[in-house]
Amino acid sequence: MSADRRRRLERDALSLLEAIAVRAEAGRRLQGDSGRAVLRSVVEATAALFDAEAASIALYDAASDRLVFEVAAGVQGQGVIGLSISPDQGIAGYVFRTGQALALSDVERDPRFGRAVAEQTAYLPRSIVAVPLVSDERTIGVLEVLDKRSAASFSLRDIELAAIFARQAATAISATRVERDVASLIASSLRALAAGEEPRTATAEAIVAAATADLGRDDESGLWALADAIARVRTADPAQLELVTDILDALGRRAGRDTRRRRRARPGSDAGEVR
Amino acid sequence: MTDLDLPAWSEPFVGQRRAELEHLGPFGVLDRDAAFGGSDGSGVRVAIIDSGIERDHAAVGGRLIASYRVEPTDEDPIVVEDPEAIDVVGHGTACAGIIHSLAPGAELISVRVLGPDNRGKGANFAAGLIWAIEHGVTVVNLSLSSRSEALFGLFHELTDEAYFGNVLLVSAANNVPGPSYPSLFSSVVSVAAHDVPDPWTWYYNPRPPVEFGAHGLDVDVAWRDGGRTVATGNSFAAPHVAGLAALIRAGHPAATPFEVKAMLAATANR
Repeated sequence: MSADRRRRLERDALSLLEAIAVRAEAGRRLQGDSGRAVLRSVVEATAALFDAEAASIALYDAASDRLVFEVAAGVQGQGVIGLSISPDQGIAGYVFRTGQALALSDVERDPRFGRAVAEQTAYLPRSIVAVPLVSDERTIGVLEVLDKRSAASFSLRDIELAAIFARQAATAISATRVERDVASLIASSLRALAAGEEPRTATAEAIVAAATADLGRDDESGLWALADAIARVRTADPAQLELVTDILDALGRRAGRDTRRRRRARPGSDAGEVR
Repeated sequence: MTDLDLPAWSEPFVGQRRAELEHLGPFGVLDRDAAFGGSDGSGVRVAIIDSGIERDHAAVGGRLIASYRVEPTDEDPIVVEDPEAIDVVGHGTACAGIIHSLAPGAELISVRVLGPDNRGKGANFAAGLIWAIEHGVTVVNLSLSSRSEALFGLFHELTDEAYFGNVLLVSAANNVPGPSYPSLFSSVVSVAAHDVPDPWTWYYNPRPPVEFGAHGLDVDVAWRDGGRTVATGNSFAAPHVAGLAALIRAGHPAATPFEVKAMLAATANR
């Protein structure tokens, strides 16, 4: 390989890596924000429909074994964001553990009720409805609505309406979790490949060849999808990272070939015209 | 709402829809006097599988005779005595208070299945149910259910075991879509809430799966730390029917779970 060609390849690979990094980061930010945006829009719609003082969503975090309030709507709801509670206590805990929706009103009649949480949020509700967020067979969190302004308590119909909103939220959450599952699937494939007997470079070439086999000359979407997915692998160990690097190199070579092919095509006929 | 795939189990029991419950049952002569007359639930043991029961709560009237909790182990969860007799939420005490208000003579047993361990929620629940079936209670209140499809077979087996073992399971319907065991099995008495503020009003729905509607809207209930609150949900409808079932079982000790259910249906409001 001439020094000239090597430099060109390195340059191509570097620019490809940069592009991948930018796209992957943009994708990550978009994904995180859009998931949260859907949850926020669900609690906002819930609070508006019920004409409630506040609505919030708490999700279960298995690592800390806590229910964490992720989003909230309403002036009285803001204090709860970021708060975490034990999943075996209180209304939210009961609903989370049992999957059984329920509503309480006249809450202040029991001065001890929820006092600890209320003190942290500086807001003690008069009435509350809590429904589970159910994804597949699992309860993954709880949607709560506090203090309907037009009535002293929540009706049976309110519980069912809240359950509809909870289903929207659960669907949004499971969609973002599927994305995460894809990333972990790729990570585990990489782990298996990195542990294999095949020389790493050959493996990397094989992966890229397989991923780009059906790629049209002008269609880079498959290549980008692979690049994006690989760039999302953040938890790889050193051996896997080397393989990731090899794959990115192979992608770079592939991109270099494409570029050369295009250069050759450019001066030709209309049929060979590419954008 | 009907076009949304939502099990609005309370709907048949609420407002004008109740007119559709009109049903000519085969028990013309069986009235409430015959079913409940003179009974206060004495001699019947009711297990409440829930968040625990506060032994000293005024609403329980000193009728809590035993307290147990499910403890997770490396293998199957086990049931151990819970001498403290606490309620980690208030929910189980609410259910106990409702049952005691209807059947003051019945003995109450708490089986707490909510604890610090989040794994194996369904398995803990099943362990509590197995314990209740094997320990001489004749009415079990289940204001909770499991969503785990993997436990379908186990819960199906347990409901059959209860039914053939003369144990009546009263189970709150779950208002959220998806599987819910054992509340949707035919041998249990499944209950949703209605909106009539009266513990002595209940309805029979001839169109299952949820067969009974009972008081579950704005129910004045006992809560944790000796307190009270006002609660809404199918959770609070189920113990009303469990209390009625305890009365029937005390007055008609020979009645099987099937016959108790039939008597509840025959004496329902029309």
